[in-house]
Amino acid sequence: MKDINSGKELVNKIKSFIKNYDFEIIASEGKSELTRFAESYIHQNVAETNLNLIVKVINEDRIAAVGMNSIDDHTISKNIEKAIEVTKIAPKLDYHYQLLKPQSYKIKSKYSKDTANFNPLNRAQLVSQLIKEVNKREYEAAGAFKTEESTLLVANSEGVFAFDRRTKVDFNCVITRDNSTAHASFIDSDINNFNMNKITDELLRTALKNVEQIEIDPGVYTVILSPEAVSEILNYTSYTAFNGKTIMEGKSFVCHNQGKKIFPETITVSDDPFDELTMPIPFDLVGYPREKIDLIKNGVIKDGVYDHLTALKYNRKCTGNTLPPEQASFGALPFNLVMKEGSNSVEEMISSTKKGIYISRFHYVNILNPMSVQLTGMTRDGTFLIEDGKIVRAIKNMRFNTSVVDMLKAVDMISKERQTKPGFIGPAVTPYLRTNNFTFSSKTSF
Amino acid sequence: MKKILKNILDWLELKVSYADLRFVQTEKENIEVENGILSSYNISTDRGVGIRVLADGAWGFAASNNLDKASLQETAAKALDIARASALTKKEDVRLAYEDRHIDTYITPITKNPFQINPTEKIDLLVKATRMMLKDKVKKSEGSLSFYKTHKIFVSTEGSELEQTIFESGGGIVAYAIGEGDFQKRSYPSSFGGDYATRGYEFIEEMNLLENTERIAEEANQLLVAPPTPEGITDIVLGGSQLALQVHESCGHPVELDRVLGKEISYAGGSFLTLDKLNNFTYGSPEVTIVADATVPGGLGTFGYDDEGVPASKSYLVNKGKFVGYLMSREDALKLGLKSNGAARAENWNRIPLVRMTNVNLLPGNLELDKLIGDIKEGLYLDYNKSWSIDDKRINFQFGTEIAREIKNGKLGKIYKNAVYQGITPGFWKSCDGISSEKYWHVWGLPNCGKGQPDQGMHVAHGTSPARFRKVKVGASK
Repeated sequence: MKDINSGKELVNKIKSFIKNYDFEIIASEGKSELTRFAESYIHQNVAETNLNLIVKVINEDRIAAVGMNSIDDHTISKNIEKAIEVTKIAPKLDYHYQLLKPQSYKIKSKYSKDTANFNPLNRAQLVSQLIKEVNKREYEAAGAFKTEESTLLVANSEGVFAFDRRTKVDFNCVITRDNSTAHASFIDSDINNFNMNKITDELLRTALKNVEQIEIDPGVYTVILSPEAVSEILNYTSYTAFNGKTIMEGKSFVCHNQGKKIFPETITVSDDPFDELTMPIPFDLVGYPREKIDLIKNGVIKDGVYDHLTALKYNRKCTGNTLPPEQASFGALPFNLVMKEGSNSVEEMISSTKKGIYISRFHYVNILNPMSVQLTGMTRDGTFLIEDGKIVRAIKNMRFNTSVVDMLKAVDMISKERQTKPGFIGPAVTPYLRTNNFTFSSKTSF
Repeated sequence: MKKILKNILDWLELKVSYADLRFVQTEKENIEVENGILSSYNISTDRGVGIRVLADGAWGFAASNNLDKASLQETAAKALDIARASALTKKEDVRLAYEDRHIDTYITPITKNPFQINPTEKIDLLVKATRMMLKDKVKKSEGSLSFYKTHKIFVSTEGSELEQTIFESGGGIVAYAIGEGDFQKRSYPSSFGGDYATRGYEFIEEMNLLENTERIAEEANQLLVAPPTPEGITDIVLGGSQLALQVHESCGHPVELDRVLGKEISYAGGSFLTLDKLNNFTYGSPEVTIVADATVPGGLGTFGYDDEGVPASKSYLVNKGKFVGYLMSREDALKLGLKSNGAARAENWNRIPLVRMTNVNLLPGNLELDKLIGDIKEGLYLDYNKSWSIDDKRINFQFGTEIAREIKNGKLGKIYKNAVYQGITPGFWKSCDGISSEKYWHVWGLPNCGKGQPDQGMHVAHGTSPARFRKVKVGASK
């Protein structure tokens, strides 16, 4: 399934086995390679080639899905037979399952031949360069450097045929020396945009400041969040609040706040595959074309994102956010989370802060209360005290228990600069944020 | 398949200092029902081979779903190339702790093969259970069942040849009471997917799902109108299900030796249980003894051999409060001059073995549950996890639970919602002054332990019985 023609052959093969039943298929194939390092040497280094075919058989509103990673005739026919048998005994859905009609697609994923051809030696050489530089300052490096190439095919018996190929570079690193640490990450489709010198500088700059950390008391603080920290907060928020299924079930903060202006005018968050900094995903896993969906616009709560099943069940419009069948019960997630930029520089945000805290990164974030979007988590790899407009000291890691709703209500500065950071599905594009309401609940000592 | 693997091994033999090949084939069946309607029925088969080599003193690993001999030879050559690239940064040659050569087979003992149970029976069970929970404000109910059959073949240049067939069964139900601006959930037998074991369909039958629908639906309804858990410092009893996750996060992960050595520091984090603390640190009170035991019958972390070909074993991690042992792979064990205790596990054929939990069990005490609760004047009984978070050294933790019950003068009282408790790991375990007896002990299966890059989900378990902790900070999520 390396190209459109082999994708078409696969669809025809499945058609010949399924005969009179409706079907949907998702097929993906690719190679993924990852070099992992710690204590300044490569300790794990792996490569994988695999494919995955999921065939969903639909028999008068009775549905069963079969997955396989071999596509020889025997495996496909045997599995399809199993699925057909299950649809004969499965209870019917309580709504009519309608297949998507053929669509056209406005965008493509990004693909880089250089990323696809990047090999273990290329990755090891760059890691070696990083290690040499940080070792000079007596730091050790740990992280992961992944390059991958994949194709995705989504089709159905109504004639939907969506084919896409993409590449991805995903790098993250922590450097450590005693209690001094720093973290950096990079995500893109093109290895040519990866700059190890820039990442090394960023790591050392943060780490050299993150020394002799002091303890501060828990409480409510003004904080400046890095794009990485903002991405983490927004991904968890969209997971718990902007999933259309939980909205329909009355289990989301959005249910009782839709259409209300809750946040400052400057807050706009969307699922936007067209943003110039994102890695676009062109269609969802039933073949809906992806579109821009506003979740929060100029401070007003708009709506969530909807998958095909939820849209059919509740008579809503699918927003192109359908997940694979094994995650169908969850509902939907934004694929390309984007927060609109503000007008401030990061330097302005810091220099205008009388007393506050700069947060580089969070660790182990989780949802405490879905209805108030209260999250918990720890700070990590660089938390700094700001006094009179300057970063003055590093702070020991703290636990936060904070409501994202309260936090966003109190945002008063957003940076013009935005960065592409890892997200739950596709990457998130996020700026720096300053908020005057962020609650730390405990410090760490024993 | 074994013959092809051995051919590849022969080809590799002169080029490497060590190699192992793993063929893994997994059949999976997953059924999900919501409000009496089948929402998802998925079956899948997945198979492939992972080839791990030590060449030029460094690791390389390549894996493929393509099983013909020529493709596997290409995969082996790729693994060699990768090892040579890894060697570019090596500080010293990787060496492995000695392990005997093993030639053996292992099959999970089961009574009822879950794949031979008619899907109708499984679907009907969930349809009934989820319908029975729809009472009053319970507007949403969920039920799920999952079954796995994993066949593994392991061969190594040290001459080990192992075949294992592991069956796993699991599932559970959830009731959601939904009100204006709030919802509360109750799960059974455990939260986040239920309970799992290396057992057959008999495990599902013994869960008595239908018999518990009414109770959890009622509790969900009560929680919706319950007051929030009061804030303060108080004595608590953790029920077995919540205690399983407490053991997982605050003991299971920090005793993983690869974390201690810094191998996970960029992602999952490190550990406060540094090498200087081994046999030299008070982790908990004398009541607290924790073992890693991959031999417990039915435990979700039970197997014959780990994915480096090391036999399943039982070893002490914490003995009467003293920190005495790590979970180890062969490579990491040698750094302490030890043998592996069989804790290197890979999620699938396309992942390398990492140090993982098996069944990490808090051994039972000798108290009746009545006595455990009876010695508390004022406190809380907390159970069924709702939220979890812990720092990158596994010290500062916070958990939320589905339900809290007041304890007053030794008796259980009213229900509170949105309970949260937090603590510092060693202080918390030192405050444990009572563990209930074997009668209340159960091995809880957790099918979703995450670690590593690329991500690896692992099936692990924790034997626990309810335990008492003094002076714990509690409150409510807001």
